[in-house]
Amino acid sequence: MTDDISPAAAADAAKGRTSILVLDDEPIVCKRLRPFFQKAGYEVEAFTNPAEALERVTQRRFDVVITDLKMEGLDGLAFLGKVKALYPDTGVIVITGFATMETARESFRKGVFDFVAKPFKLAEILDGVRRIEKEKGLGTAK
Amino acid sequence: MELPSIKDLFAGWRKKPPVPFSVLFKKFKSILERNNSILELIGDMGDKLGGDYVFDRQYIFDSCERLGDQVFKLVSDLSLLCQRKNVSLFTAFERVQHQIREELAGRRALSRSDHILPLAELTHDLADEGGNKMASLGDIRNILGCTVPEGFVVTAGAYFEAMERAGLRKLAAQTTKHLCDTRGQGLEEASLRLRQSILSMPLPRSLSKAVEQAARKLAGEGGALLAVRSSAWGEDGESSFAGMYESVLGVAPADILDAYRRVLASLFCEDALRYRMHHDTTCEEPAMAVGVMRMVDARTSGGLYTYAPLQEHDQPMVVSAAWGLGKPIVDGTAETDTYFLRREPPHETISSEVSPKTTRLGLDPSGGTRTESVPAELRDNACLDRGQLALLAETAMNLERFFKRPLDVEWAFTPDGTLTVLQARPLSIRPRSCSLGEDVAEAAKDAPVIFSGKGVTAMGGVASGRVHIVDNDPDLADFPYGGILVARHSSPRYARIMPKCRGIIADVGSATGHMATIARELRVPTLVGAGNATRVLRQGQEITLDADHKVVYDGAVEALCRYELSKEDVFEESWEYRTLKRVLRHISPLTLLDPKSDQFRPESCKTFHDIARYVHQRAVDKLISLAETHQDLTEGAPRRLATKLPLGMTIIDVDGGLAPGEGDEVGEDAVRCRPLSAILDGMNAAGMWETRPVPVDLGSFMSSVTRTFSADQSHPTRMGRNLAVVSREYLNLHLRLGYHFTVVDAYLGGSINDNVIFFRFMGGVTDFTRRSRRATLVADILEQFDFVVETAGDMVTGRVKKHPTRAMLDKMFMLGGLIGYTRQLDAMLDSDEAGQRHVQEFLQRISALREARE
Repeated sequence: MTDDISPAAAADAAKGRTSILVLDDEPIVCKRLRPFFQKAGYEVEAFTNPAEALERVTQRRFDVVITDLKMEGLDGLAFLGKVKALYPDTGVIVITGFATMETARESFRKGVFDFVAKPFKLAEILDGVRRIEKEKGLGTAK
Repeated sequence: MELPSIKDLFAGWRKKPPVPFSVLFKKFKSILERNNSILELIGDMGDKLGGDYVFDRQYIFDSCERLGDQVFKLVSDLSLLCQRKNVSLFTAFERVQHQIREELAGRRALSRSDHILPLAELTHDLADEGGNKMASLGDIRNILGCTVPEGFVVTAGAYFEAMERAGLRKLAAQTTKHLCDTRGQGLEEASLRLRQSILSMPLPRSLSKAVEQAARKLAGEGGALLAVRSSAWGEDGESSFAGMYESVLGVAPADILDAYRRVLASLFCEDALRYRMHHDTTCEEPAMAVGVMRMVDARTSGGLYTYAPLQEHDQPMVVSAAWGLGKPIVDGTAETDTYFLRREPPHETISSEVSPKTTRLGLDPSGGTRTESVPAELRDNACLDRGQLALLAETAMNLERFFKRPLDVEWAFTPDGTLTVLQARPLSIRPRSCSLGEDVAEAAKDAPVIFSGKGVTAMGGVASGRVHIVDNDPDLADFPYGGILVARHSSPRYARIMPKCRGIIADVGSATGHMATIARELRVPTLVGAGNATRVLRQGQEITLDADHKVVYDGAVEALCRYELSKEDVFEESWEYRTLKRVLRHISPLTLLDPKSDQFRPESCKTFHDIARYVHQRAVDKLISLAETHQDLTEGAPRRLATKLPLGMTIIDVDGGLAPGEGDEVGEDAVRCRPLSAILDGMNAAGMWETRPVPVDLGSFMSSVTRTFSADQSHPTRMGRNLAVVSREYLNLHLRLGYHFTVVDAYLGGSINDNVIFFRFMGGVTDFTRRSRRATLVADILEQFDFVVETAGDMVTGRVKKHPTRAMLDKMFMLGGLIGYTRQLDAMLDSDEAGQRHVQEFLQRISALREARE
């Protein structure tokens, strides 16, 4: 998989920085999560367009993927399925405004690490990312 | 129990209600529960503004929908309970619901219909009415307390009315749409046609009269000249439109209407049309509010960038200044002095460059402005001294922290030495911020953390400065400019030093408390409930508070502060934030305060909160009157509680709240209801039911209280006497003592998750200031006991739930004490200090009593 890592990502990996991809078609979620995670010491790319995010994950690997479930154009479940197929090791956190047990179960079956219902607290999602880091032995941020 | 149908329930109600009281009480109880869940939902929506949450568009739609549904059901419940159609209440509901839907649909409902708003009344809450530029100026004056020119704004509403009457609103809308559709075909002609029509349009008579009158009043006896400035929607906000719209300077009051039309017409100048076409994909209808201000007779004026655009290192701010009025400086046609200052207090001068200044712009007494030559002795002098530079720098940093953006500030010093802020607009430093993402991650990673992960964000943001630990009033007096306030408890007392402080950390406190609300208003990064910050942080220690991440770093982490300012989007300016704030205006304010007032009617309900309040009051009244007229309804008849204290309380026992027995009176020992028993213990405890002699000047006040009690006692069937509905675990208490009105609704003793106390306190006979002090006092005390507290006017509500039963009973004991203690306290609250003294006094007494109980 190392062949797919871009120079920037490689540099981040060298610095031991955890990489995160955020996908949510509500721009406000990206606008708030990107600077929030950057400030906490992460390397972040955020997308509002599922097709672009899909394109991006075929180019490189992310340590953590945070995605909405319900979006125009692409089902979040399909997206995380794709991510897991490419990188079984990537930790996925699902965020959604329509939290039902059924979707939760379904996403857990697909290997989702955590499930956060909107609206959520910034601390909650940071906590989720940190637990992924701990489990996968990434742990760079405070 | 078999439930009768609704029809049976109401048949022959007045004669002999056919159902047991417990059934009616269930309906009543469901109203209370719904009322509480409505208030909680309102509170939740308010919390989302705090910065701790990420919420999206869908959340706003969903919660408005849910809330509307609950309020509708609440109104329906009341109709059932009271067997009334309540048409006017449904109408009130529809009205509020409609306003909310309009807001959500992007049709801004102007909350004020005035043509003219004085600057003194303007803040960002009225940005739709006053336009962005004037609303910002309003914030600078009214929230931050800076001097700005005197003036008023002719509102966006006035613009719409004038355009509508002249038949131009439709033309403008068609033109905008056409340009959007055709990507700007015929833009030049369209612009010219619209502008000419506006320049010659007649203004509605009431509008022109109001503007002329306000202009004359502003100009005063001396006929001072006026500046007429654009303040369009979106200007100086997310989109800049910088310099596109017209400002007319040096206007004599007699010429005000022409200047007004000129500024309106500039809304459709070619640049603006083009800009909107490219940047505003929705082609939202534009609007122009117009600011009218008295021209400032400036001795020196100029501009200030809080970040110097070209300096690579040290990140200083830069000031340019010249003698006279500022226009040539802004236009770049004047020779100016340039100063680079440090951003950190005390803002030392890094370098200065003084140029020879041969001319200056001055006011022409006959109207307009004129260029004059600068007297020889001033030409080569620096036009700002050290003190002025320091004042300028401090002011600019306060503005920057408030607006959360690097700023371009226009300012002037008048001959008497007053600093006047003319304008502040966002300054984009984005080109340089590309690499900041990397920097910030590194900087934050290496900075030593003092503590992290503790507390609740009451207001997000980053602040660095020196710790100033505060624990009594004298500490407030010498609070240093630029310090970070660290305190044991949150308190609204800190409001007065907030403009000076960069950040706040409190060991104890809630994100919905009074202080948090003020911190949000002033946008001061605030962390509450941080545990032991007062012990971990040292006086004078330099720290950086990152309230978003709940991290406190040792030292100044400059990269973090810089990053905070260069964020692409300020949360407070996002559509989501603004829209939520806007819909909340129709939801959360409580304007229906006094149930005894004539205004306590469905027609007066302006918000969902008002409706909920109204329904609650009516439901309580109904329950009391039912209990009085139909004593046979209850399982046992209502019984009077014999107490040492003059409570005049009637108890309706629904299920096991009283020991079985006969007679219409019971003693306190017969109370089996655990929450009631605890609250009575608190009232009876030594030193709680205030018995000290009352000062002589309060004699008349006391007699009014006594009268109320004796009236209650001599007429036990009168409305308004005190009522407790109880079961073994449940208490619903409505208590009017003197003029204080208290509601307690508690369920304690089931599973820990069901444990809940709701407490509400309001009323009082003294002036509003004293009542507010008492509200603050009650709120402070409740917060100390883990209540989530909301204050509106002199009403305080507190909620706490899911604590172990023992701890909850302890809180009930405290509430009993509090009700007794505050019973007639407001008359004595003659100062804020007295309020704080009583908080301490109460806490000491109650803690001694609680220890003794254990």
